[in-house]
Amino acid sequence: MRALDVEYMLDLLPVLLGYVPLTLFMAVVGMACGLILAALMAVERVAKVPVLDIFVRLFISFFRGTPLLVQLFLFYFGLPQMLSFLTTINGVTATIMGLTLHFSAYMAESIRAAILGVDRAQWEASRAVGMTQAQMMRRIILPQASRVAAPTLINYFIDMVKSTSLAFTLGVTELMGAAQKEAAGSFLYFEAFLVVAAIYWAMVETLSWGQRRLETYLNKAHAR
Amino acid sequence: MKQLLATAALALTLTVPLGAAQAETWNVGMSGGYFPFTFVKLDELQGFEVDFINALAAETGNDANFVTMSFSGLIGALESGRIDTVANQITITPEREAKFAFSQPYVFDGAQVVVKKGNEATIQTTEDLSGKTVAVNLGSNFEELLNGLPNAGEIEIKTYESNIAQDTALGRVDAFVMDRVSSAQLIQESPLPLALAGKPFSQIRNALPFRDTDEGRALRDQIDAAITTLRENGTLAKISQKWFGSDITTAE
Repeated sequence: MRALDVEYMLDLLPVLLGYVPLTLFMAVVGMACGLILAALMAVERVAKVPVLDIFVRLFISFFRGTPLLVQLFLFYFGLPQMLSFLTTINGVTATIMGLTLHFSAYMAESIRAAILGVDRAQWEASRAVGMTQAQMMRRIILPQASRVAAPTLINYFIDMVKSTSLAFTLGVTELMGAAQKEAAGSFLYFEAFLVVAAIYWAMVETLSWGQRRLETYLNKAHAR
Repeated sequence: MKQLLATAALALTLTVPLGAAQAETWNVGMSGGYFPFTFVKLDELQGFEVDFINALAAETGNDANFVTMSFSGLIGALESGRIDTVANQITITPEREAKFAFSQPYVFDGAQVVVKKGNEATIQTTEDLSGKTVAVNLGSNFEELLNGLPNAGEIEIKTYESNIAQDTALGRVDAFVMDRVSSAQLIQESPLPLALAGKPFSQIRNALPFRDTDEGRALRDQIDAAITTLRENGTLAKISQKWFGSDITTAE
């Protein structure tokens, strides 16, 4: 048992905090792209477009059926051997794309469930007033579905923030990568990983607080 | 959807690594986790390799851009053009020479067994490694060296991306194998309870690898000339003294 080097931890904290923006950048961009992709896939899964449906189901099946780490390696180290233009994609971009594809598969399923959860009467009423399929989706169904899906989607976002730590395996020096390198240089492993754990924890707690606020706000409109 | 992905990919590409065509900036790969050759302390990348490359860049009037990634990914990144060379104590081996254009050696070193303090007596030669668990860095030349020993079949080799010293100190493995000079520095500088076991068992020469293309060879020749200059004017010896307390840049 040795003494905890608190002084080193305090020195390290501001250094590692400097990597938080990169972590959040990867998660926010990944979430934005993932949401768009997921919404498109969810609408398709509800509408069941012939042929396209097979591809979407295959996509969802693959990205839910394999670990994110495997997908990242396949995409960053594997594919460039086959398609040489992919070597121009850097680690940050590859991570964002990996997060986008991986989480969009999950989010598509929750959005689809939320869409199907909207009362049938709403669909019939929209049709009765002469809306097209697209109008109905945009104005009536998706707004109601998003209230149901929001908490789950924020959970995926929280998961995504933590999953950005895998970017280190693609050579990106992000929060986790920086901590690992600092530990290898100072040999104070426990201190370095303790600081990095605290930073992730603080980030997620902040997001959870936002999630609770949002849920209260969304449900207020539905208080009967 | 394809279009959407393509657009996303374009929008997301923050920086496209510069090709070697613009020879003003060298992209130099290193792990940033191999004390004292390349390591990070409070966000500052430093070490023997960093000083060496910076000296070369200053000598030739170019810029060095350091790209850190896990050690096992370095050679692949060099092949695919993500980086132009690797400054991470890369040992010249016949296999690597067949694939890459190497500069002249700039470090002369040996392979060394390191054990937890107090166990030095148990391992004096490589024969003593039989029945032991030995850690090496994944993709390193030391992994090949161990596999090439006559008693390789009796050694349990464990490969790591990093932290081999920590796992030896914690007693998870019996020993690790790394180069002699780093081992000596590590034991001196780090708080880990480690000790050298026996004498170095293999001579190694380190050099900078380049892609074996016209461009790669041109860069190699330019850097090679600069290494000669730095060796002759004493810069290499000075950098070596700073990090190792001895000159490891010339053949004994």
